Amino acid sequence: MGRAAPSSSSSIDSSNHSSAASSSSSLSLSIESNSKSGGRLDLTTDLRLGLSISPSHYNEFSAGASPRQQPLNWPPIRSILRSAHAGKSHDLPEHPSLFIKIYMEGIPIGRKLNLFAEEGYEGLIRTIGHMFPTTFINSSADRVHSDKYHVLTYEDKEGDWMMVGDVPWEMFLNNVKRLKVTRANRC
Amino acid sequence: MDPMRKKDCHDSGESVRVASTFPDEVLERVLALVKSHKDRSSVSLVCKDWYDAERWSRTHVFIGNCYSVSPEIVVRRFPNVRSVTLKGKPRFSDFNLVPPNWGADIRCWLVVFGAKYRCLEELRLKRMTVSDESLEFLALSFPNFKALSLLSCDGFSTDGLAAIASHCKNLTELNIQENDIYDKSGSWLSCFPENFTSLEVLNFAYLHNDVNFEALERLVSRCKSLNVLKVNKNITLEQLQRLLICAPQLAELGTGSFLHELTDRQYSELKRSFNNCNNLNVLSGLSEVAAIYLPALYPACTNLTFLNLSDAALQSEELAKLLVHCPRLQRLWVLDTVEDKGLEAIGSNCPLLEELRVFPSDPFEEGIVHGVTESGFIAVSYGCRRLHYVLYFCRQMTNAAVATIVQNCPDFTHFRLCIMNPCQPDYLSNEPMDEAFCAVVKTCTKLRRLAVSGLLTDLTFEYIGKYAKNLETLSVAFAGSSDWGMQCVLGGCPKLRKLEIRDCPFGNAALLSGFEKYESMRSLWMSDCKVTMNGCRFLAKEMPRLNVEVMKEDGNDDSQADKVYVYRSVAGPRRDAPPFVLTL
Repeated sequence: MGRAAPSSSSSIDSSNHSSAASSSSSLSLSIESNSKSGGRLDLTTDLRLGLSISPSHYNEFSAGASPRQQPLNWPPIRSILRSAHAGKSHDLPEHPSLFIKIYMEGIPIGRKLNLFAEEGYEGLIRTIGHMFPTTFINSSADRVHSDKYHVLTYEDKEGDWMMVGDVPWEMFLNNVKRLKVTRANRC
Repeated sequence: MDPMRKKDCHDSGESVRVASTFPDEVLERVLALVKSHKDRSSVSLVCKDWYDAERWSRTHVFIGNCYSVSPEIVVRRFPNVRSVTLKGKPRFSDFNLVPPNWGADIRCWLVVFGAKYRCLEELRLKRMTVSDESLEFLALSFPNFKALSLLSCDGFSTDGLAAIASHCKNLTELNIQENDIYDKSGSWLSCFPENFTSLEVLNFAYLHNDVNFEALERLVSRCKSLNVLKVNKNITLEQLQRLLICAPQLAELGTGSFLHELTDRQYSELKRSFNNCNNLNVLSGLSEVAAIYLPALYPACTNLTFLNLSDAALQSEELAKLLVHCPRLQRLWVLDTVEDKGLEAIGSNCPLLEELRVFPSDPFEEGIVHGVTESGFIAVSYGCRRLHYVLYFCRQMTNAAVATIVQNCPDFTHFRLCIMNPCQPDYLSNEPMDEAFCAVVKTCTKLRRLAVSGLLTDLTFEYIGKYAKNLETLSVAFAGSSDWGMQCVLGGCPKLRKLEIRDCPFGNAALLSGFEKYESMRSLWMSDCKVTMNGCRFLAKEMPRLNVEVMKEDGNDDSQADKVYVYRSVAGPRRDAPPFVLTL
């Protein structure tokens, strides 16, 4: 995400993968993506420089790095619920996947859904129906003013919340950032 | 009988017993009252007669590492055992650090027990591999079998449970906790015969498939001694209410999902059912909780000593309201959705609290998550002065906060702090978290278990080695600066039994500095450190009574030892090691 600006003071690794294991680039710096002047150094990196720590392990997870690049199998928490839905959470995926968050109104804990594993809208609705206690109404059906029925909505790249189902599936995949199951009487 | 006199007899080489010796029967009777396995070990070391009396009278054996001893040795020494507790894989296997098919299969144990322990009644397994065939063998081979407890095990399916339910006529306990189980269907529950009434403990909270509710209801009704019932989340509130009517005597209850809509009448009935549960000490479950239904629980909370809300995503106000009704709480597990405000409520309402565990609701993401901070922990420490066990997942901490916490609660025996971002410093001062753990080990002299996190230099380990004289278990990840850190711990902690380390810059010098110590420890785990194959080979050569095992991952540098597991054993090297485990 962050583009590395060249700097003369130290070597910079713009990716956070462990490929940069050589001793010369033993520390990765995180650069703010919206900073025009080339980014600011994360203080913890300074700290590690001061302490002369330079093990190659620390490449992968400097504290200021992109948050999604947590090291494998960390934090030490057993993911029982995850394994219930087939497969381990953090092995490198063998097939490309698009995991997005999905929340249901009224339930603070969300779920994750792999959109690439669905074949289309029908599969998606079915999977969501297994994840949450809900019955969907068709987006083109008459509006039901009841809080028993739910509608599936999504946030698109522009930040707008839209009803799922209006555009072709591939276009939807390109635009969707996350999903929400909302009450029908809100739409 | 003065043990000293026994010793003198032994030393003087007399083979004739002194007239005033305790008769064996009396000795065995007395020893039968000694339950703790540590005490029994001490007893067995007094003299040969006591060793013999102890081994004949031992009915329960605890084996903390299944590879430290062989089943043949166990049955030879203890002929009358009726209850066995076995632990298998290293603890880091919980976090996927141990490849599948590593071992710890119960099968070879069961085969030997089948021959020698016909009266086996109890089997408690943790992190073992258990197949359906093994479960079936168990069900068919031991006519008196009573209690099965499986925690963090893998390799079996609900078919195995069906075998247990079908054949164990005297079963009192079926405790299936947090296992990697292939959950084919819920039909296993229907395998309990209609005339089966002995069940006292039933825990299937972590199974996913529906069980036949009518079968469950009938089972619960006819098992009048049922004490512990933990159902899975498919059981609705309405069904729960019916179960409570059948079993108001329950001491431990795990509810199903607390979400489905109830009419007013159903809600009152639920509340009344909870009102009838006067014996409830332990409550768990509450997954997918709709907070409006929580008040139905309040009548049953008066005598609660353990409340496990780690599946319930409660907000702070909801927790606060619930805690008002739990004055006797000693153990509390929550999700960090309760945030600091929720922890303040704990501090205000739970003066008797001894154990607190705060789990992360969203551990693998760093979106806009809140969770708990150091303030919540501080608030708990002011209100709960008896706190001695804590497991705390957070995203920020300061040295000063930890110092305050241990000053308020100096009696910690278990201090497990997990700052979820690795190598994170004190977020206010930007210094390492060394001083925090210095405060912990200096102040908490009774500390037995410690897990450290955050940015840590060798100084932390110097402090640990210097002050943590009662420390038995230490967990370290992404910490330390050099070999010196680990050397301090190995040189300084006399009671150390388990040391587990991942992703630290400790190498051969550190590994080898402890080689004499490892024989007094249960095990050492080091993964993704700087240990090499040569270092491990050297250790293996110097210490033949240790098993030094290296797990090789494909594609990595052959000279590096990625995962090292060292443990003492009287059984010699493993005979069942898979190809990726090299015993040196």
